[in-house]
Order: sequence, then structure tokens, then C-alpha cells
Amino acid sequence: MLAAASLTKVFPQIDPHADYTFGGSGALETQVEQGAPADVFAAASPKQPAQLFAKGLVTRPVEFATNTLVLIVPRDNPAHIHSVNDLTRPGVKLVVCSAAVPCGDYARKAFKNLGITNAAMKNVVSQTADVTQTVADVALGQADAGLVYITDAKAAAGKVSVIRLPPRAKPNTRDFIAALTASQHRAAARAFVALVLSPSGQAQLRAAGFGKP
Amino acid sequence: MLALVIAFLILPLAALISYQPVRELLHGFGTRVATDAILVSLKCNGIAFALMVGLGTPFAYVLARARFRGRSVVLTLVELPLVMPPAVAGLALLVAFGRFGLLGGAERALGIDLAFTQAAVILAILFVASPFYLRGAIAAFSAVDLTLVDVAATLGAGPLRRMLSVAVPVAAGGLGAAAAVAFARGLGEFGATILFAGSFQGTTQTLPLAVYSLFDANLDQAIAIGVLLIIVSAAILLTAKLLARSWNSSPTSRFPGGRSSFASG
Repeated sequence: MLAAASLTKVFPQIDPHADYTFGGSGALETQVEQGAPADVFAAASPKQPAQLFAKGLVTRPVEFATNTLVLIVPRDNPAHIHSVNDLTRPGVKLVVCSAAVPCGDYARKAFKNLGITNAAMKNVVSQTADVTQTVADVALGQADAGLVYITDAKAAAGKVSVIRLPPRAKPNTRDFIAALTASQHRAAARAFVALVLSPSGQAQLRAAGFGKP
Repeated sequence: MLALVIAFLILPLAALISYQPVRELLHGFGTRVATDAILVSLKCNGIAFALMVGLGTPFAYVLARARFRGRSVVLTLVELPLVMPPAVAGLALLVAFGRFGLLGGAERALGIDLAFTQAAVILAILFVASPFYLRGAIAAFSAVDLTLVDVAATLGAGPLRRMLSVAVPVAAGGLGAAAAVAFARGLGEFGATILFAGSFQGTTQTLPLAVYSLFDANLDQAIAIGVLLIIVSAAILLTAKLLARSWNSSPTSRFPGGRSSFASG
């Protein structure tokens, strides 16, 4: 199972016996393109599965959950950030995912919707390859703020504080899953996708903070 | 058997270099991402290398020649980063020098913030690459004939002069080889850098970090930068080898490879 980093905690709860590789959806997409021997691909955005589907490498992608982009700060908030507008203050150390990763793509779209792209991007000090690294940077206090999914913020609950983005930032994201056409275990792949879409799988996703597909 | 080993080593390199047409490869070398990464890598590695050789050479000399209680402990400590996985090294640097690490408070008091800076990159490179240099330098200095240094002492040379004028030239072959390995290791450093210094084009994104970030977006460019890294590393290793050979064939070296004062007759 190749799955987006945001699914690191919840997928093993849905199926503890599968083999998982978690990472940035873009890097995983590249691995599928290069013929990695995987069975299922789950991404944090419709883009990567759609690109693979267009190349005939996966079956038709199905939306299995939604997520929300939020702003997180270290628990003691040393830079005193209370809203997304504080991100435009000079000197704030902001970490986002790189543009090729869904989380980074969503972050940039949110900035655009809020009209703060120039000021916010000026404060970016590091661009990570997946969302768990962004969380780690903020949780360790290296960064003043980061943009991650609410499910990641929940997973790091003790170490970060969450600041929700205003609705006009359009912070909702969609997760898609598909089976690889070259998979050697088609039946098992289908079963896994079915499990994720089943009531019990959906309950686990809901408990982790994901929204309905 | 030998052919198999050589094939194993050469095949991945050949595959990488032949992945795309040369024209595209050259175009990949010239992109902003590539040139930024080259500048960051050369600058940070250059500074780290200067610090490593400048501070490490006298340190290695003392360690090689002095005998003091706890010497073996120090020698082990020097080699420790060698057996640390780079990610663990990065983590260690974070909890030591990070904003909320052991020295975080002291750094804040001095107005230093290492987070996501080039200084952090240099520190990460220093931490993982110095053991390679120190280990080789200590071995090289240990092999210097004691009598040469003693003779210099009797002729009135102080400790610094003895080290610089006698020990270093004699040990130069070993020092050069150790420095080359250390520089190559530093150039390829990834795990500690990405954890401790982050990755930002133009500031902290070294060549290896650029490859990693491009893996998501543009595989062709990632490969181009990978090839660039190989070329730079190969050039450095070749230069070091040639330098070492020219040192070793001079009359004052321990094992003259060329002209020898004892070879005639």
C-alpha cells in the first residue's frame, strides 16, 4: 500500500496486516510510474490518482475521505500567531510542504484565496517533502507555524495548537484511493479499498478527524 | 568475479547518466534549481571543509602524538558520528542546537537562531564528515617517523613549526586522502541536513536535497542533478588521487613511489 503521509496513523488502524509505505503523494506517484510493486495507491488529492489513471496505471480513483487544511503553531506559540493574517508578519518562520506535494499545493491555494501569497511565501523557510515533516518542524519548535491537515494536528495534539483557516481560504481537501492495474494481488487490493470505504473503515477515518467523502 | 563487482558498481551510474539525452541533461544542469543547489552545496561544503581541515588537523596531530588518560575515549567519540545513521545525527543536532534544544536558551540569549539557516547546514556537514577526516588524519600522523619530528625539535623548531613544516608534509598523502573522503561525504550529506536545517532553494537546499525535492515534481530534473552530483564528486576524488600521487613520489615521503634516493645503484 502506497499511501499519503497524512494516512500514517489511521490506515494501520483500518488494516494492521498490510504493508505500508507512507510518503508525499507526488513521490509515491513517481514510484508507481516507475513500476513499484504495490497494490493500492492512496493520495491526499485527486491530482496524482487522476494522472495515474490517465496513464492506465490505476483503476478509476474513488474518493474515500476529506480533510481540512489548518494552521498549526508550537504549543507555547513563541511567535504569538493567532490568525492566518499573522503569517504575513515579517520574521515569522513558516514551513509548508513543497508545491509538488498535495499539502503544499493546498497551502498555496489557500494563500491565493486569502490574498496573502506574497507576504506569506516570503516567510517560508523550508519546504518539506511530506506533511509529517512539516508537523515535526512545528512540534519541535523549529518553525513558528506550518500548514498541515487537521488529522495531523490531531495526531500531534500535545505538541501543537490548531488555528482554523477562515472559510474563504477554502481549506477542504479530498483523499482518493485506487488499485494499481499492475498489482499482483488484485483481489487483496480490491478488498483493501472496500475495507477503507466500509462503515468500519469510515468510522476509523472519522475518529482520526477525516471528513466524509 | 571481478567483472561482476565492477558491473555492479558501474551499472547504476551508467543507468543514471544514460536516462535522458545529453542535451536534456545539460539543460537540467542550467536550471535555477540546479545552479542554486550548486552554489549552496559548494559554499556550505567549502566552509565546512575549511573548518574541518583548519581545526581538525591540529586536533588530529595532538591526538596522534599525545598520550593522556581518556585518549581512547576521545578516539571513540571522534568515530561515533560514523556509526550514527544520518537521520539520527540530524535528530541529535536538533535536540542539542535546536531552538528548544539543550543549547537553545544560550543561543537565544546570544541572539543566534540556527533554525533553517546555512549555518545549520554547515554544522550538519561538519558533524557527519569530520570523523572521516579525523580518523584518516590521526592514522596519517601516527605513521610519521618520530625521529623526523625529534630532529626538527633539536634544530630548534617549536611544536607548531614541527607540525606544519615536518609532520604535515610527511603525512600529506594520508591527510589528502582523508580530506577527499570527508569532502565527498559532506557533499552527499542528506539525512542530517534535511532534519536539522530544512530545505529551501537558494538557502539550505544542497544538491542532495534538491534531488529529493524534485523527485516529486520532475524526475528528469532530479536525475540531471543526481548526475551533476556524481560528476562533482568524481572530479574531487580524481583531484585528490592525483594530488596524493604527486606527494607520494617526492623524495621526503615515507614510501616514495617515484624517484627514490635509495633506488639508484
